[in-house]
Amino acid sequence: MNLSVELSKEDSVQRFHIAGEIDAFTAPVLKDKLAEVQDVPGLQAELNLTDVTYIDSTGLGVFVGFYKTLKANDGYMKIIGVNDRVKRLFEITGLDEIIDIEKGVGENRDATL
Amino acid sequence: MECRSSVDIFTEWDIVAARQLGRNEAKSIGFGTVDQARITTAISELARNIYLYAGKGNIKIERTYDNNQYGITIIASDEGPGIADVRKVMNDGYSTSGGLGAGMPGVRRLMDEFNVQSEQGVGTTITAVKWLR
Amino acid sequence: MPKEVEKQYKALVNRYINTKSENDLYAGQKFSRRFIEKEISPEEVIGIHKSALMELFPDAPEDFWHSFDFLIEMMIHYGLALQEHQSLIRKQEELELEMKIAEKVQNTLLKTRVPTFSDLDIGFLTVPAKQMSGDYIYFLSDDSNYASVAVADVIGKGIPAALCMSMIKFGMDNMQKQNSSPHVVLDVVNRIVEESVDDSMFISMFYGKYEVDGSVFSYASAGHEPVLLYKAASNTFIELDAKGLLLGVQPNATYEERSVVLDEGDFIAMMTDGVTETRTEDGFIDDEIIKEILTTVKDESAQKIADTVYQQLGEMQNFHLHDDFSIVIFKKGYKN
Repeated sequence: MNLSVELSKEDSVQRFHIAGEIDAFTAPVLKDKLAEVQDVPGLQAELNLTDVTYIDSTGLGVFVGFYKTLKANDGYMKIIGVNDRVKRLFEITGLDEIIDIEKGVGENRDATL
Repeated sequence: MECRSSVDIFTEWDIVAARQLGRNEAKSIGFGTVDQARITTAISELARNIYLYAGKGNIKIERTYDNNQYGITIIASDEGPGIADVRKVMNDGYSTSGGLGAGMPGVRRLMDEFNVQSEQGVGTTITAVKWLR
Repeated sequence: MPKEVEKQYKALVNRYINTKSENDLYAGQKFSRRFIEKEISPEEVIGIHKSALMELFPDAPEDFWHSFDFLIEMMIHYGLALQEHQSLIRKQEELELEMKIAEKVQNTLLKTRVPTFSDLDIGFLTVPAKQMSGDYIYFLSDDSNYASVAVADVIGKGIPAALCMSMIKFGMDNMQKQNSSPHVVLDVVNRIVEESVDDSMFISMFYGKYEVDGSVFSYASAGHEPVLLYKAASNTFIELDAKGLLLGVQPNATYEERSVVLDEGDFIAMMTDGVTETRTEDGFIDDEIIKEILTTVKDESAQKIADTVYQQLGEMQNFHLHDDFSIVIFKKGYKN
């Protein structure tokens, strides 16, 4: 399965649009992409998962790692656009309690990207 | 008994000049065609590394005699960035020229003796010897 | 020694040129093994061929011999690639041997003993997808008053996961004497893990404890899949979940603890996501499938229930496991 990660910067927020399946094979792609910005102090990151169909445990590890790094650097991470399956994964793992997760995309930000 | 000659490496043409020098020397020492090709390939790789990573440097070819044996010594030196982790560069599967070249492990296999001295920010000197059998 | 090979090669090539028979070609094929055995490189073979021909056809045109020099030049990199390949294979063999040893150490270190109880039947099964498992099942019990089980899934496999497991094991062993309750165990293990592991490594763990007194099963979950409770009286399944974050994400996580009472014939199925996220050609299986399988064997022994789930879900994916597969069954009832 393929995975694509697109990064766009709007104001001071780094927006990642991720599409595809995040599993053991594709997780390194995402990890590398996130690693490019994760050490920026006070980074505001928004991860759009509208087009993510599946995340396995390795994929989840990438989000956890990113969350921890951002937190250590006084940054902030938000996840938007999760489908039911992905949402359930964040709930089971208890990550929804510590990570800001929005189910829908709210306003249509994609139009401005 | 020693005989020295050298080529400065600035452009890709100089790689060819270094090869030519090495081949002539190897031939006159008495190496066979196969060993001539091996020595030349080693010189080629070393010169290419200088050209690609240090920008400029020098290849010296020496006729060597030791323990009743004749041989050829290649000394490749540059004042480039140096090699951060020599052990890593010597590993199979790691090629400094992006997978295209034979890399350092290749040069070591083509020659009988091989020595790297490198200091970051100062430069690198590689010495390789092949003995006539 | 190469001189000997050269002589034999020359004789063989000469014979073939004269006879052009398949028999001599076959002899050549067999002879080529000697080149490989003696580690004679491709460029050397061409060198040998060239000197053999020079002796056999001394009057051949000069240009002809130069073409061989060109070919030798062409073959040098093939020779190097071959040698590199051989050296990488040797390295791989060494690594595989080390992995085998590590696997043995893992098995010894993480050995667990199934508790024996008169009114609780315990069955379990764990199958690694690759050489070293990321799933970890560990039982703690005094064989008379309580039986506990930890079902853990370490993200990241192989040696790092195994090291992580031994950390969990020793953490739990240290608490065994205090007969701690599930939420306390998770709390302590979380702090051990959080301090020690890499940022992208974490563990999901379910901890359940059965107490003979009152037939109470208490449990807590660190980001683990809900487990299934089968109630014999109503022939229904209840999902047992409890709030709790994955181990190793935050030092101050708190774990909710809940409990249920087990009646005769009830059982609890604790599984890792290798079971619940079984993948077949048509995609992921439905949660209902597991319940259906469990229902068909509800009256069997705990071990039989565990084995059947593996057998049937295994068949659906042709036993080509994508993930480590572990299941533990706690069944209330007197064993046969």
